[in-house]
Amino acid sequence: MEIRIVHFYPDLMNLYGSHANVKVLRRYLENMGCAVTVRRLLPGDGEPLFSGAEEPDFIFMGAGTERSARAAMEDLARYETDLKSCAQDGTAMLFAGTAMELLGREIREPDGSAYPGMGLADFVTEHMESDMTGDVYGYTELYPEAVVGFMNKSSLIRGVETPLLTRLKLGWGNEKEGGPEGFHQGNVFASELTGPILVKNPRLMETVAEAVLNRRGMRLPDPPPRDTLGWEAYAVTEEQLRLRALE
Amino acid sequence: MKKIFAIILCKILHFMGKLTGRGSSLPGKAALGICRDILGRIELPDRIIAVTGSNGKTSTVEMIAAVLKGRGIKVVWNQEGANQIEGIVTLALSHASLGGRVKGDVFLIEVDERYAAKIFKYLCPTQLVVTNLCRDQLTRNRHPEKVYENILSAVRPQTELMLNADDPLSSCLARGRGKVKWFGVEKCSVSADHPTGAYHDGAYCPVCKGPMEYDYVNYNHIGSYRCPRCGHARPRPDYLGASVDLENGYLTTGSGVRIRLSLRSIYHGYNALTAWAVCCNAGIPGEAAASILSCHRLKNGRVQPFTLGSHRGMLLTSKHENSIAYDTNLHYIASSERDCVVLIIVDAVSRKYFTCETSWLWDIDFDQLNQLHVKKIILSGRYCKDLAECFSFTDLHNWSVQPDICRAVAGIGTRGSEDVYAVTCFSDRDKLLAQVERH
Repeated sequence: MEIRIVHFYPDLMNLYGSHANVKVLRRYLENMGCAVTVRRLLPGDGEPLFSGAEEPDFIFMGAGTERSARAAMEDLARYETDLKSCAQDGTAMLFAGTAMELLGREIREPDGSAYPGMGLADFVTEHMESDMTGDVYGYTELYPEAVVGFMNKSSLIRGVETPLLTRLKLGWGNEKEGGPEGFHQGNVFASELTGPILVKNPRLMETVAEAVLNRRGMRLPDPPPRDTLGWEAYAVTEEQLRLRALE
Repeated sequence: MKKIFAIILCKILHFMGKLTGRGSSLPGKAALGICRDILGRIELPDRIIAVTGSNGKTSTVEMIAAVLKGRGIKVVWNQEGANQIEGIVTLALSHASLGGRVKGDVFLIEVDERYAAKIFKYLCPTQLVVTNLCRDQLTRNRHPEKVYENILSAVRPQTELMLNADDPLSSCLARGRGKVKWFGVEKCSVSADHPTGAYHDGAYCPVCKGPMEYDYVNYNHIGSYRCPRCGHARPRPDYLGASVDLENGYLTTGSGVRIRLSLRSIYHGYNALTAWAVCCNAGIPGEAAASILSCHRLKNGRVQPFTLGSHRGMLLTSKHENSIAYDTNLHYIASSERDCVVLIIVDAVSRKYFTCETSWLWDIDFDQLNQLHVKKIILSGRYCKDLAECFSFTDLHNWSVQPDICRAVAGIGTRGSEDVYAVTCFSDRDKLLAQVERH
């Protein structure tokens, strides 16, 4: 089966290894026998997101600087209708790092100016002067294992009703330290956790892969194939952060 | 009264610290506890040169100091490398009279790019040198544009800037300013046509975010750029590296002066050129500055030769959370020609703070090690599996994992006689050095 991945703005929105999310998911699906194509969509390309029945199976955008995210949004606006229709249709998508902010209704700058997001979700992002950085250890309702990662943002996101991480034991959430983090609705996944969130969380990668396959009428094998190195790396970080959260 | 007390306390603590080999930040911290604005209350030399940026600060400052000293100029500089406000207070007060006068002709400081605003609030540099702005320590710095904003807000109007013409981001500091001098390196033997590395921060213009065009890059996104949309382009350097001959270890300036490079890398070429530019700008004849630089051997200990069994080894200290520092050293290994084993250690991400953050590993271009003479790569330390996951996406197959650093080192020592390159950070280097014979 052919799986179509669209990678939005792979250079503009690619802070700290964001690109590895696509790499690891692609390899995982390929190892299950899928033929995976990755289309790199660049700002100004102007090409449609899909034509006819060729809807993407997975859409990804990674982290960028605040100014890069704003430039990305200027281009992304043309895809708003298509992205909303994909989301409604159950296409899996992940907006990681600052890309998450673009899913919301509006992004407000510290100087009082603002620009509209995609409006795929009803939250609002407020950029701050201060930085919110630090390790994160939390839980999602999607599976029992803890989620690990690193927060690297200068923003508060208000109005998320369906967070991806419902509970944090360590680190910054959408609005406050220890609060819920990210956004999840249907097959739309978003988290401000920076970089290769799917590499760091193999269980989340499997969940996204499952969402991709389910929409095509397929299931993950039981038990699912494991990215052994990914799980071993996760075990080290998970233990370190769990112990840290207890301190 | 507070001022004198702060100076005396700082001097005593600094003296005791020297005896016990303790850090150089503590005395300054204690002095700041007594007098928060102590830096603004003392009399510094007329010429203050501050060096900041992501990479190359320490080496550049060391080389500037060597030239100034070699020319008989009395320079007070932070050779211990403490570049945050506490370290700079220690430096100033330990060289100050009880009346608060810092005795010297030049006050030369490496400034942590994040602390520039805090430091320049009390101290106005005559000249601020910015080496470059790249991804570095995301856990503190967020991203290079954030660091740029920090420096921009810290620069005083009366400070002259010495900027890297080849860096599209830090060169923006010149916008709207008159007092700017530029250094830059022409296309040379190591140049590429397009930005290189695992990510392309230079792909878009930092001013307008339009796609950037390059005539060449000397590394990563450092090169000759031009934005067709807004016109942001590499300015003409005042101090030019006209050619770089890494095979023979020379940089030749636009005025025909030759500088011998103690490390044969383009990164060091930039550092040497920067030091030369600063010294020339301070009135030292170019030939004289070059001759001192050519004889100077860097002492900051980032390259440490050692012996391990029958192996000749070299520790290449990188900085965790800084992909270009890693790329620099991987490039050095790739351009060596003798058969070698490479040991990469990521054990403690930082020596100063706790974090498990390993995203930065994905920004490193490990494929550079895909060379016939690189026989074996061993990944070690707590985060060796994160390293291994990165390697599993490279074209390399000659890597293995040994989480235990002692075993990894011992395993290399008992077999073969190839050269060994150890690549790791300050936070982890002693774990290697404890097991080898240093030179």
